Amino acid sequence: MHTIGKLAQCAEVTTDTVRYYEKEGLLAPASKTDAGYRLYDEDSVRRLRFIRQAQQCGFSLTEIRELLALKNSDAACCRDVRSVAIEKKLQLEHKIRALQVMSRALTELVKICDVETKPLDECPILAALENSMAKKVKGKGNG
Amino acid sequence: MVKVEVFSSPGCGKCAQAKALLKAIAEELGQDRVTWREVNILEEMDYAVDLGVMSSPAIAINGELVFSSLPGAGKLRAELDRRLK
Repeated sequence: MHTIGKLAQCAEVTTDTVRYYEKEGLLAPASKTDAGYRLYDEDSVRRLRFIRQAQQCGFSLTEIRELLALKNSDAACCRDVRSVAIEKKLQLEHKIRALQVMSRALTELVKICDVETKPLDECPILAALENSMAKKVKGKGNG
Repeated sequence: MVKVEVFSSPGCGKCAQAKALLKAIAEELGQDRVTWREVNILEEMDYAVDLGVMSSPAIAINGELVFSSLPGAGKLRAELDRRLK
């Protein structure tokens, strides 16, 4: 059995993280000591590592809860998990596209600022951001 | 000519049966009027993202995402009829 500190150490997280996962219903202690301290078994260690790994793959805690439910469901099979992973990958690819658009917009803004010593009220980046917002508002007004 | 593209991943059992039913509907309308292409989402992920596919299976018609999950036979038929008019 592990204390909360030992469990956190095994999965390289903080004890606050373990408590948070417990609050979210993702993890539960196997038992408690007479003094009321939480105790965890090897299953908890595996479960905690699973949660961390899934988070690194981009899964939210809600999605991880679903994955854990699938993992423990007799009716589910590998195919169900695979389709969850494919959907996650699709979402990530969409996010990557959106980030690339943002990055390109920033490249354009950086390009228009060729004199770094200009005073702030002449900053072309701030002006461009202000103008693009004004254009959007004007566009909406016309529409 | 209406181009139907079905995005799914190989080995998806729940898709296979539903897809076969929908394919039959498309074929009923004539292969000279409706083309049917099954797209492996894992091989053509970029294309799927281009069309806005967020889940699998999904159906695009003439390069536009129309069904974000597999529709019933009646719905697909109605959509194809509308486009063939």
